[in-house]
Amino acid sequence: MSRTLVIASVVALLMLSSSSVANPGGNGDSDRDYTCGGSCHGDPSLSLPSDGTISISQEGDVFAGHAVAIHVNVAGMSLSSNRLLGTFILGSMDGNADHPEDHGWHVIQDPNGGSSNYVETVVPSSGSVTLSWVLLAPDEAGVHNLFAQIHHGAEPNYDGKAYSGSSRGYSIDVMPVPEGLPGLSPDWTAPAYRSSGNDDPLEIRTVNTTSLSVQWMLEGEWSPHNAEVSSNCDESEVCNKWEAQIPATMGDTRIQYQITVQNGSFSMELPWLTMGTSPAPFEGDIWDARVQSFAFAFLILSFIVSLQIRFSPWDGKHELDQTQEVVESEAPPPPPGMEEDAPAEDDEYWSRLVHSEDNPGWLWDPVEEEWVADPNFQGGDQ
Amino acid sequence: MFGADTFHTAMAEIVVGTMVLATVCAVGCASIRYIPVSGDKKESLMVTMDKASIAGATMALVFMPIAIMSGNFAAENTVGNALLYNKFVYSGLALGFWAAFVVGRIRMGPGLWEVRPLAMLQSSTAVMAFLMTTMASSIGGKLVRGESMFDILPIWFPSESAVVLPIWASAVLMVVGLAALFVVFRMAPSTERITLD
Repeated sequence: MSRTLVIASVVALLMLSSSSVANPGGNGDSDRDYTCGGSCHGDPSLSLPSDGTISISQEGDVFAGHAVAIHVNVAGMSLSSNRLLGTFILGSMDGNADHPEDHGWHVIQDPNGGSSNYVETVVPSSGSVTLSWVLLAPDEAGVHNLFAQIHHGAEPNYDGKAYSGSSRGYSIDVMPVPEGLPGLSPDWTAPAYRSSGNDDPLEIRTVNTTSLSVQWMLEGEWSPHNAEVSSNCDESEVCNKWEAQIPATMGDTRIQYQITVQNGSFSMELPWLTMGTSPAPFEGDIWDARVQSFAFAFLILSFIVSLQIRFSPWDGKHELDQTQEVVESEAPPPPPGMEEDAPAEDDEYWSRLVHSEDNPGWLWDPVEEEWVADPNFQGGDQ
Repeated sequence: MFGADTFHTAMAEIVVGTMVLATVCAVGCASIRYIPVSGDKKESLMVTMDKASIAGATMALVFMPIAIMSGNFAAENTVGNALLYNKFVYSGLALGFWAAFVVGRIRMGPGLWEVRPLAMLQSSTAVMAFLMTTMASSIGGKLVRGESMFDILPIWFPSESAVVLPIWASAVLMVVGLAALFVVFRMAPSTERITLD
């Protein structure tokens, strides 16, 4: 009976491990191809078609090598209990090498503040979410396609499968760059986070820019503020390295900022970018940790061993315990008349003493062979 | 070849596995009187669990420094966040508790389970060691995968923020700890092995 119980328990544990497939909690934002060698994203035996709708839109005209905001709206899909949605922005539907970077695009910022082509987001109760990527367009003018693909769970999801969906190709007409059009440098990526309390100026790298302005506002605010911008270049000279003074943030505050670049008659208002607040840098180092760790180990060991000694029923413990002797030596003598009775050996001593008629008031000790004064003798009346 | 992080994971799994065995058996030894089995079986069960607990704890104690050192290499000898710092601290606490468990059992023998206060202390030490080791391992899961089994349990020790003592304070504490060890092992009355009735 007990053997059956043990075997059943082991089998149950093994089955429990095999039932937890896929990544229902998500895998985090990162750069990913949609189908990486038969993963559950693309494997038809592990996925089902999504019931959501995906639409893509852009903000303003797109010039080669310049920034553009691409908005991906996803709505109407079933979701699992954690309402998690994974969304890819892709340069092709080839299955691999489909990252926008592989097709000439450059991710300046993803919807979560990073610079990934795959992001995970929790869909609000409305069931619709719009995700915005800020990209630098390819250097080659012409028509370029972007795609969005999603995956999510469902509730209930008895088969434990992923639900996948993809958009149609969204064609973007990338126009040739007019001579001297200002913009962001292709080697600049917007920082996703700035550490708490850090008020270092934000470095911005540009191309063909003679003047730059930055507006910022906290997420949720409506009216932007102007940031102080500085550079080492003279006015009217093309300068591609700028510093904008954006106030420090604390906690989990997110700050949004918009860069406007100018060059002569060109003025390009770039998409709003977002910067989160990361915790302040950790101050401890490896040796702090090592020494503190060993200190705690020694203290714990000595404390528990001392408790073991305290609880140990060792016989010799009483020989070392001098408490009673100290108490007795320090106790004051009893008051007259309150003395304790003599011990039994005193009784034995007095009983061996012999009265003598010849020497009243004295007792003879036959053992010690000496006379002892009789304490009960009261003059000559006895 | 494999990396330090893979080796560290293997060592950590050995430590966690052996200490689970040790903890379950230690708690079993302490509560043997409440287990409804006959006298002979109870004695046999007691001896088996006692041996299993000391074997598991000793093995955990042997592999724990290897796990800690390989964790050092896996972390490339840097501590960049509170989670990693706390992993070190919890590892130290686990090491202290396991060492105390093994020292107590070796010094006093299997008879310690017959003395109720000692049995309670020994099983509590094992449970604390279990919690500290599990916490250190779970922080590893948090660091690598962002999740751990503690997420679904109602127990979670502080780990998101760390109390970083200045190194001089830690050094003072370490000296105090070493002095305390000298006192309890050299100057305090030595314990005797408790014989079984």
